Amino acid sequence: MGKRSGSKRKDKNKVILPPELPPEIDDDEVDLSDEDIAFYGTDSSNVAHFRHFDKKSIDRYVGRVAGRDEGEVERLYEERQKRKATESSGRPREDDDELEVDPVDALPTKTLQGELVYNRAKKARSEDNTGSVKTKAQENGADAKKIIKKDEPKGKSKNKKGDDNKVKNIQSQTEVPKGQLHSNVLEEVKEELSAEELFEKKKAQLAELGMAMLEDPESNIRSLNDMLSISNDKDQKVVKLGLMSLLAVFKDIIPSYRIRQLTEKELAVEVSKEVKKTRYYEYTLIRCYKAYLQKLVSLEKQPQFYTVAVRCMCALLDTAPHFNFRENLLASVVKNLSSSDDVARKMCCEAIRSLFINEGKHRGEATIEAVRLIADHVKLNDCQLHPDSIDVFLSLRFDEDIGKDETEEEKVKPKKNKRWQKSQEVPKQLPVNDKKKTRQELISKAREEVDADLRAVSFSLDPKERKRIQKETLSALFETYFRILKHSVTTSNSRTKVNNVSPSGLHPLLTPCLAGLGKFSHLIDVDFMGELISCLKKLSGYSDRQDEIPNDNALSVSERLQCCIVAFKVWRSNLEALNVDLQDFFVQLYNLILEYRPDRDHGEVLADALKTLLWEGKQQDMLRAAAFIKRLATFALSFGSAEAIAALVTLKHLLQKNSKCRNMLENDSGGGSLSCLVAKYNPEATDPYLSGALASVLWELSLLEKHYDISVSSMASNILSMANLNPTQNPVPILNVNPLEAYRDLSMERELLKPASKSLPLNLKKKRRGKEFVALSPDVLKKADCSVDKHELEEKLQSHFAVLRSISENERLRGELNHTLSSINMYKEYKKQQKKKNMKFKTGRKKVAKV
Amino acid sequence: MAKKLGKKARKFARKNLQSAAKRNRKIRNQFNHRRGPRRGGSAGREDGDEDVPQQVHDSTMVTNDAAAATLIHGLEFPEDDAELDADLSDSDGYLSEDPGCPYYSDSEDEKAAKDCIMEDGLDRQNDDMNRDIKKQKKKLKKLLDKDPEFANFLEKWQSELESYRSKEDSDEDEMDSMDDDDSNDENSPNAKVLTSKTISEWCQLVSKDPKSPALRNLLNAFRDACRHGVHSHGPSMQRFQNARVFYQIITFVLSELDNVFRALLEIQDDANKGKIMNLRNSKKWQTVDPLIKSYLQNSLDLLSQLTDNKMLAFVLTRLRASMVLFSAYPSTSSRLVKILFRLWASGDQGLSLSAFLMIREVASLLPDCLDLCLTKSYNTYIASTKLVNDRNTKHIYFLTDCLVELYSLDVQKSYERAVTSVEQLNAILRQASKTKEKEDLRKIDNWQYINCVNLWVRFLCCHYKDYNLHPLFSEVLQVIRGVAHLFRGTRYLPLRLRLVQMLNELSTCSQMFYPIPSLLFDCLEFREVSQKEQTQRTKINFSSLLKVPKNLLKSRDFQEECVLSAIQVLSAHFAQWSYHVSFPEVATIPLFLLKRLHEQTTIESLHRPIKRLIDQVTENKGFIERKREVVSFSPNDKASVDSFLQEEKVSRNASFTRFYASVAENCQPKGRKTL
Repeated sequence: MGKRSGSKRKDKNKVILPPELPPEIDDDEVDLSDEDIAFYGTDSSNVAHFRHFDKKSIDRYVGRVAGRDEGEVERLYEERQKRKATESSGRPREDDDELEVDPVDALPTKTLQGELVYNRAKKARSEDNTGSVKTKAQENGADAKKIIKKDEPKGKSKNKKGDDNKVKNIQSQTEVPKGQLHSNVLEEVKEELSAEELFEKKKAQLAELGMAMLEDPESNIRSLNDMLSISNDKDQKVVKLGLMSLLAVFKDIIPSYRIRQLTEKELAVEVSKEVKKTRYYEYTLIRCYKAYLQKLVSLEKQPQFYTVAVRCMCALLDTAPHFNFRENLLASVVKNLSSSDDVARKMCCEAIRSLFINEGKHRGEATIEAVRLIADHVKLNDCQLHPDSIDVFLSLRFDEDIGKDETEEEKVKPKKNKRWQKSQEVPKQLPVNDKKKTRQELISKAREEVDADLRAVSFSLDPKERKRIQKETLSALFETYFRILKHSVTTSNSRTKVNNVSPSGLHPLLTPCLAGLGKFSHLIDVDFMGELISCLKKLSGYSDRQDEIPNDNALSVSERLQCCIVAFKVWRSNLEALNVDLQDFFVQLYNLILEYRPDRDHGEVLADALKTLLWEGKQQDMLRAAAFIKRLATFALSFGSAEAIAALVTLKHLLQKNSKCRNMLENDSGGGSLSCLVAKYNPEATDPYLSGALASVLWELSLLEKHYDISVSSMASNILSMANLNPTQNPVPILNVNPLEAYRDLSMERELLKPASKSLPLNLKKKRRGKEFVALSPDVLKKADCSVDKHELEEKLQSHFAVLRSISENERLRGELNHTLSSINMYKEYKKQQKKKNMKFKTGRKKVAKV
Repeated sequence: MAKKLGKKARKFARKNLQSAAKRNRKIRNQFNHRRGPRRGGSAGREDGDEDVPQQVHDSTMVTNDAAAATLIHGLEFPEDDAELDADLSDSDGYLSEDPGCPYYSDSEDEKAAKDCIMEDGLDRQNDDMNRDIKKQKKKLKKLLDKDPEFANFLEKWQSELESYRSKEDSDEDEMDSMDDDDSNDENSPNAKVLTSKTISEWCQLVSKDPKSPALRNLLNAFRDACRHGVHSHGPSMQRFQNARVFYQIITFVLSELDNVFRALLEIQDDANKGKIMNLRNSKKWQTVDPLIKSYLQNSLDLLSQLTDNKMLAFVLTRLRASMVLFSAYPSTSSRLVKILFRLWASGDQGLSLSAFLMIREVASLLPDCLDLCLTKSYNTYIASTKLVNDRNTKHIYFLTDCLVELYSLDVQKSYERAVTSVEQLNAILRQASKTKEKEDLRKIDNWQYINCVNLWVRFLCCHYKDYNLHPLFSEVLQVIRGVAHLFRGTRYLPLRLRLVQMLNELSTCSQMFYPIPSLLFDCLEFREVSQKEQTQRTKINFSSLLKVPKNLLKSRDFQEECVLSAIQVLSAHFAQWSYHVSFPEVATIPLFLLKRLHEQTTIESLHRPIKRLIDQVTENKGFIERKREVVSFSPNDKASVDSFLQEEKVSRNASFTRFYASVAENCQPKGRKTL
């Protein structure tokens, strides 16, 4: 963009300055601007990106380049020129600044050959630019010519610009003496102006450099240094702008391959100029990228740059997960996953998610790294992180057949499992070492280069390799999950004694962890199943603690329900082959139903639990089914319609599956028909087997038929109709959904989202009411009839009269008084007039006397 | 009642208070402006009346924030202010008198005239002024004596002033006529002083023979009495010899004239509007018409003049008898309605009631007025229930009941209005639940919204049995549930309890089951009570609260009130189903919670009420279980289930019913539970 504006400037300047330039350069320039246009035409996404980072000023540049209204562009430009002309008193100093500011040139540069080259401070940066290219050009021979040609006009235009400015400076300096009196004030103003000016200038510079970079990264790669140095500025805004510009540049120029460190041997071999050039380019790029990342990491610690730095890192991670220094980037981003800053956290989560989803960009290597880093992070922070940091795992994707595989894989599996078990105790370094080792095993040294080339060319991954990566990812993932579970178990045990922390804050990671376990339950290895289930059992509140007051349990009802759900999902996704006793979870659910509170806990979780544990299950134990049926019916009587319908759907399902329980619908010989161990139903029993529910009758349903909600009441009557059917028959299905769906359909949120039912039908029995009162009680009405006491009335009326009379009297008197007073006042007036008359008279007389 | 200062007093203040002068000018401009399209005469009167409620409205408006102000406009029904002032304009109420009627002058009354004047500030001021005047006059006289030429000068100035003032007066008159009806007192040349004796004589004449010409005189006197003080310099001021005369006229006319007119028209007490309309064309009517009109109009004048609640109530009670006569004069009736609504909304119970009875009478007698009444009453209700505090809760209950009463007159018509209003409420709710923004939520979290919901709940309760109101019922139910869903959290417990009360009412009237406990878990949950502020006890009254102040959330009193209110609504719920066959199951979960709370709570004072409820519920549970063990029907036998324990239910002798009655009685002083 700087180019284009530069060309404009040049066009303008042409009028003033003698035509120094040969015509062919002009042609070249035309070419260039065409390229420019082409660039912006094709890569509009880039332009859009540019637009993001600056609110006002860059927008102006971009807008200009994006081919907006030419006239406006001209006007803007004119304006800026004008402003510069008037304010440029601070200009010379700035120019000096610029010379000093370029610290990059002051520092030695290491060339490819390893020599240290000191750049001398040149008078104009543009010369430096062309000069450096020239040196390169000498090496590169004919190729470079073009570059010179390209660069010359730029440099020249800059020179000219400088000249122009000088002229203007002179003008403005002549103006300065006028304001000598206010020199102090002016000084201050100038300082302020120059700060602003400086900012404007830096911005322009950044833009120009960035443009140049994008346009021809090969030859302008050194501008990266300049940009880096600009972003070292004191001005925060400039720094931010610099970071963002660099980000944009890097996003564009980062190659699609990883740059490899050159070996000694390779360095020793003589290479062609072409190769040298490329090496130089790559070397500079890597060096600057590293510097940039270091800068980001250091700035991230400063609160004012925190968001910008995180944004840059996330964007880089998103675009270049394959490139060098990914590990550092990942580390920073993962660290910020649990940031307290909402914006930064969201960005990081998004970056990691996209990393997981777009594995093609990095062949899954970054995924495993990220998962491992998160795992370490969780470990280091003792599971006290923001839930989002674990939530990202839900975006992970695994191949379906990863678990069950060929025999070859079978061998690896137990080994890996052992490794996982080890890794619980052994510090985290091991997996990394392992990875390297396996790599060395798999890929021979001789094949390394070829392989790298191959991979660089094709992104497709060897299926074996892919499987390996996925397996490792999976193990790291489950390691994290298990760590969280274990942690929750231990702390919930210890905390129950302390009993002073609010339950929700204790295990921030548990909910996403359970969600993740639920999602990846089919991938869990059978070997851990037992341990996992026992963990969940503990967490769901099983054990002797259930007699205690539930509030003491550190886990919330929702979390405990989730534990039950996960346990069942795990069990079921492994084809129920697992021989674990899940009875305890039923007991838990049976009791948790009573602990559920509509506003505190998530109704969906409860409905999900009903669905997973009861609705999806096959035939249940009869006693247990009966206990649940009774409890769910009672539950439906005390809870809202959404919960009630979920309970009823489950209940109906249970009745259908367990036809013997249908006896509960009938009242035979005073009470339940089936005799069982417990003769009398005890609603408060904690064990479903001991509740004696089979002996009870579902009277609840008769009341639920009167439920205000039509779907609940019809469901209740539907269930009741089962009593008349024989055990194999089922009633007409009225609501063919699972409990979760039923819950969602009736939840208040959903109901309020439904469009309001308009125009209610109006069919009233015409019945005009008589005069009797309907709402007001007779006592109240009686009060109206007792008439006012006569004397009181008289008194009141009379006083009313008296007040009115005295008011009117008052009014009258006031009028009279005013009138009299004004009459008296008039006397003075009268006197004055008299005097005047007298005076006139006298003067008249005097005059007469004089005459 | 500062707002209801008599017209006279207001005028006084306006004329004499400096600060009022400016405003006066402004108002006058407005009036002049407004007057344009109207016709003269009575239209002016209408404006004057309109002024009053408007001011009241404004003052209440200021107290509330702007958001609430816009809200009422959201809830209000659009009011159509087009007036029909057809037959009022032609009359000023003066009746030509029969010269044959006797006037007595008695001197002995004059003493009484003096002593009934009260010693209030105004009188003393008057005395002072009298003295002042005397002094100043003396001074003036001296001056005049000293300089006889000054007398001439003064005269000239005075005549100048007069001419100037007459010009100004014409302006003022215009405005006066706006305010206080016609000032053309030339129409009533009769300035004879009325004495007590004269009035008594007239009264006797009229009571003996309704056709007596004294009736005209009496009505004229009544007219003057009603306008007493409207014009200070008018002759009407001097017509009454003393306060007793004033009293005599007013009481006699108000208490007897209705009978007199009925006798004249030969109609019975139960005459309805149709009859009056038929009469209108008869000859009889022609003669009595001006008399009745004068009587009614002047009574309205009196209503707007009086300031005392009791007197107003008295006038209203008397006027109610002659309500049927109003039906002949629609414009007078609409004026009456306006006055009535102002009085109805006023805080005084007695006055409010008599005003309402009158409104109801108007609405039932004049179907044309019904719409106006419904709209006006609803809007007045919405406007006056903006603020609820400990003092006016009862009044608001009363207003709600009145409104329900009024809306019961024509359920068909009211139903449409109810639907519109509930749709509005529902729309506000949906908006709020969609955006969840503070501004939208505040539209619900206020008394106007809640009172409006309550109004329709009461309306439904009264008519659910007789009409098919189910669509409205479910709509209202949805609003209530939606509000309860949106405002969860401990802070909103008072709001929630109120909603639960409504649900209880709805459930009772419709015999539908609503799971009340689902909304009460928060109340029954044990919470930590901060120990520090045990010393200072703050009274928390849930009936005048929607949201608990944050500082009280952990207070003991709040906790206590929560549990007690929960017990109250819960026992209402239990009472409703205490005879149902599944009562034991209804009580299972709440009982579970109550027991736990009983164990956990640290507030001693709560132990007893909780225990009592637990015991009662358990007893009833046992009772039902015993009863149902011996029955043979199954839950799916609807008819048998419904007839279960019906006898006991009718006799209302079970212990739980008695328990609930005592609970309901206990909380009666706090808020109305039953009627």
